[in-house]
Amino acid sequence: MKNKLWATIKKETLILIRDKIGLSILFLMPMILILVMTLIQDSAFKTINEKGIPIVLVDNDHDTLGVSIKKGLEQSSLCFLQDSIDGKLATSELAEKAVSEGKFLIGIVIPKGATEAIRNNVSLLVNETMMLDSTQTEQQVSTSDSVNIILYIDPVTKKSFITSITSNLHEFISVVKTQIMFQTFSQQIAEIMPDSSQAPKNSYAKSQIINYKEVYASDLIGEIVPNAVQHNVPAWTIFAMFFIVIPLAGNIMKEKKEGSVFRLHTMPSSYLLLVNGKIIVYVIVCMLQFLLMLSVGLYILPLFGLPMLQLGNSLMAIFTVALATSFAATGFGVMVGTLASSEQQGAILGSLSILLLSALGGIWVPTYIMPEVMRKISTLSPLNWALEGFYKLFFRGSGVTGILIESLKLMLFFVLTMGISSVINRVKRKI
Amino acid sequence: MPNTPIVEIENLTKTFKGADEAAVKGVSFSIKKNEVFGLLGPNGAGKTTIISILCGIFPPSSGKVMIDGKNLHGDITDIKQIIGVVPQDIALYPTLTARENLEFYGAMYGLSGKDLKDKISLWLEKLGLSKAANRKIETFSGGMKRRINLIASILHQPKILFLDEPTVGVDVQSRNVIIEHLKELNQQGTTIIYTSHHLEEAENFCTQIAIIDYGQILTQGSPKELIANTPDCSDLEDVFLSLTKRKLRD
Repeated sequence: MKNKLWATIKKETLILIRDKIGLSILFLMPMILILVMTLIQDSAFKTINEKGIPIVLVDNDHDTLGVSIKKGLEQSSLCFLQDSIDGKLATSELAEKAVSEGKFLIGIVIPKGATEAIRNNVSLLVNETMMLDSTQTEQQVSTSDSVNIILYIDPVTKKSFITSITSNLHEFISVVKTQIMFQTFSQQIAEIMPDSSQAPKNSYAKSQIINYKEVYASDLIGEIVPNAVQHNVPAWTIFAMFFIVIPLAGNIMKEKKEGSVFRLHTMPSSYLLLVNGKIIVYVIVCMLQFLLMLSVGLYILPLFGLPMLQLGNSLMAIFTVALATSFAATGFGVMVGTLASSEQQGAILGSLSILLLSALGGIWVPTYIMPEVMRKISTLSPLNWALEGFYKLFFRGSGVTGILIESLKLMLFFVLTMGISSVINRVKRKI
Repeated sequence: MPNTPIVEIENLTKTFKGADEAAVKGVSFSIKKNEVFGLLGPNGAGKTTIISILCGIFPPSSGKVMIDGKNLHGDITDIKQIIGVVPQDIALYPTLTARENLEFYGAMYGLSGKDLKDKISLWLEKLGLSKAANRKIETFSGGMKRRINLIASILHQPKILFLDEPTVGVDVQSRNVIIEHLKELNQQGTTIIYTSHHLEEAENFCTQIAIIDYGQILTQGSPKELIANTPDCSDLEDVFLSLTKRKLRD
């Protein structure tokens, strides 16, 4: 039995290493895929996270609010702020045109007298509070309460970006309003109480009592910041590992077509033994693919100015998920090869099913941006289980116990696909 | 005991799923040890179906098959140890060399080590393929492929050898070499069950012949008996055409 298994492994290995196109599909294509996808996504990532959202600011106010908004947006990592367009000082018309041409995602126009309007508004409120002239206050608050800051928005801009910018603007306006309010109160109190030492100090208004700190919920020491490498390397590695379905199914179909299966069925060897040989070879291939893709993340991507892949805390856990993924992919390949009736059918069935399962599994787009129904369906994809396993390791710093559920699911998927293959094979032979 | 039947078939029937008619209809015959038994018939007559059932490729719909005293239904694994099958198609891996193919198939019959290597070298030498042993099958001519196809099935010295048109599409030289070595195998004790469209070859090679058409045995006997018992026939081709008629087959 051992001799037969070894002979099958040797045969499969020889066939595989002599198939140059198959090998390039298995090893070269995923490397290129990881490199290209990571470079593309990284530049998009940088546009938003490093350079920031391109924004043009038109400050017609030239007062506290305008200065405060400009300073605030300049300090924010969210924005890449400019106040000129093609060397000319930005105006409302130029800003609208530039946004419509896609030069900026958002144009902000602070109207003339915006700060003055806030001052008037605050003065009236303070007067009312201090009951200096209540009848005048009621009338004037209702008419001069609003300052219209215009936002020109490129239609391609994500809703989340717009929300971030408007939130920032609200915050800047509130800060300015608070400062003016304190100033006005101070002045009023100073008028009532000439001893200025008892008047409130503006420094109170400027002090930030409640701050926030961003902390990633992860066991990893030093915290791994999500980036294109951390997502793309595991995602496209899983995709490549499952793409083994195509050469594996093709190999099974070729054996049928060339008559080897017929001969093998006349020999004193079980179907399981023959399939086991394939499984061992293709699982090893998957693991080699995985190692190669990790090496790309560790050594090749940094050469292109991309961040180095952070592996998390447990190499054993990484090996466990990778092995379970390899078995799941191989089992799926055997099932497709057994189910298909021709090489073309196997190739189409294999590639389409992998594309579908990868799209559902969150390889192309993260599952959290999917509608709820799709999110639920995505949990049925073995690629999702594998990706979730690697996310736990690469982002959340889990160990072996953290990925046991995902690994178990993948191994059960392997057992299921092998069971289905066995049934299909029996049914097909009972002609 | 040369007169002992090694293959006994009783009322064998095979109807494929969805087929209107049975491919094999209640066929019964027996093959004695050391015979060269020819199963002849036009395309679609049921020859390959019978051989496939005897090799355990698929089960019969009904009937009983005994091979070397073992029931095909229950002892298929034991039966597979003593049979060799030369399929109609070239069942070899094109990207593997001749030696690699033979090493793999030999191992599947349980052969290993020096014994396997020696047997491969012996048969490659006998069939004039020693020099091509390390060439990939995809570079071989049709005749060379046929010879390797044969070696892959006889490395384990089977008691019974099934040959489904083993010389189809090969040149006269290759055909003669194949038949010569099949005769040698038969002399060494291997029972041969053989199908072919080469009636002259069958006439010279077979000790017993059954002519089959539409899934039924039309006649059975030695080539000489068949020619003598069929009126106005001087050779096996005349007998064949007389029994199966001249109508074209699908």
